[in-house]
Amino acid sequence: MARLNEMAEPMRSHLADLPCPRFDSTPWASGPKLSERRVAILSTAGLHGRGDRPFQGFEGDYRVISSDTGANDLVMTHISTNFDRTGFQQDWNVVFPLDRLKDLADEGVIGSVADYHYSFMGAAAPAQMDSHAQNLARLLKGDKVDAALLVPV
Amino acid sequence: MGALAHYLEQNAVPTTQISLIYEHTEAIRPPRALWVPFELGRPLGAPGAADFQKEVLRSALTLLEAEKGPVLEVFEKEAPASADEDFSKGEPWACPVSFSPPAQAQSDQGKRISAFKQEINELLPWYEMGKEARGRTTMAYFSPETAAEVLCNYLTGKQVEAPHADMSLAVVLRLAAQDLKAFYFEAVISKPGADVPDSQTFTDWYGNCTTAGGILKELKKKLTNEDDKDLKRTGQMFLVPM
Repeated sequence: MARLNEMAEPMRSHLADLPCPRFDSTPWASGPKLSERRVAILSTAGLHGRGDRPFQGFEGDYRVISSDTGANDLVMTHISTNFDRTGFQQDWNVVFPLDRLKDLADEGVIGSVADYHYSFMGAAAPAQMDSHAQNLARLLKGDKVDAALLVPV
Repeated sequence: MGALAHYLEQNAVPTTQISLIYEHTEAIRPPRALWVPFELGRPLGAPGAADFQKEVLRSALTLLEAEKGPVLEVFEKEAPASADEDFSKGEPWACPVSFSPPAQAQSDQGKRISAFKQEINELLPWYEMGKEARGRTTMAYFSPETAAEVLCNYLTGKQVEAPHADMSLAVVLRLAAQDLKAFYFEAVISKPGADVPDSQTFTDWYGNCTTAGGILKELKKKLTNEDDKDLKRTGQMFLVPM
């Protein structure tokens, strides 16, 4: 579905023309086996708590989402109109799989679920996210997270 | 998304990710990624399909055990049709709510706005029923009536009230438009026995068969002609899909 050559215009050209950042090498951080990992969700769906600040533009900042947030407490203010929201409107796990992550922790597939999760607004330019990501890395390590699950929208 | 993985890994946080656009991930080369063949907006596949969502999640997380990378794996299964969305066995989706005569063609703006508010009143009981049944609404900042009021006030040149003082007019209008669309979707899926339209069917119906769709086109036109660059950009890009 989301292969570029199967998309309708003008969406196909819009996405194909988006500049992708290039990196000379791929960094590689390692950790313990999966059943011992503490996992946090990092979404780019423009999610945040009800009453929190909406995503307003292309700032590249993020919002903090506590692990005890309920489905009715999480809203989406991503600026783009070009992706489906009806899946999220029916079941937040389609975008923010917190219940599923808790299932996997209960089953022993992962070690634990982090206390906090995070959302960016994915239309922001990647370079805008860099400094925020450095701060975020400190927060994740403070929460003893050794696996960040990145979920686009 | 892939760039974020680079930044975090450079700071010693291991990552794995879901990828929705294969070509982007291939170019950015994050350490671990699982490409999924789902539509944009549904990275875990389908609503209400817990076992399938878990399978996707487990596949993405298992990449953390790879010994070297970058790894870009393909998740082969298509998303299942949800039981509610699986109406399309040759039958077109029928909106379960009966509206008053459509008013998109009304030439008088006052009549269009009255018809728009009437449409919202007709949907409200279904929205309220669905909200109670699901214990949830995805409307973020406005009630249905307030979202409509905000958009109509802008169209008719009246003062627009922001829910928070630090929100610009462009942001207020975008959020009101997003909330309005969420309201229509939540309302039309809430009548008992109603089929759930797939995303494209809903978008087509909302844009072309409701008075709200006509109001949004008027809004887009007015905003696009504004001098203020944020208002202009909101009209050009952030109200209706490409």
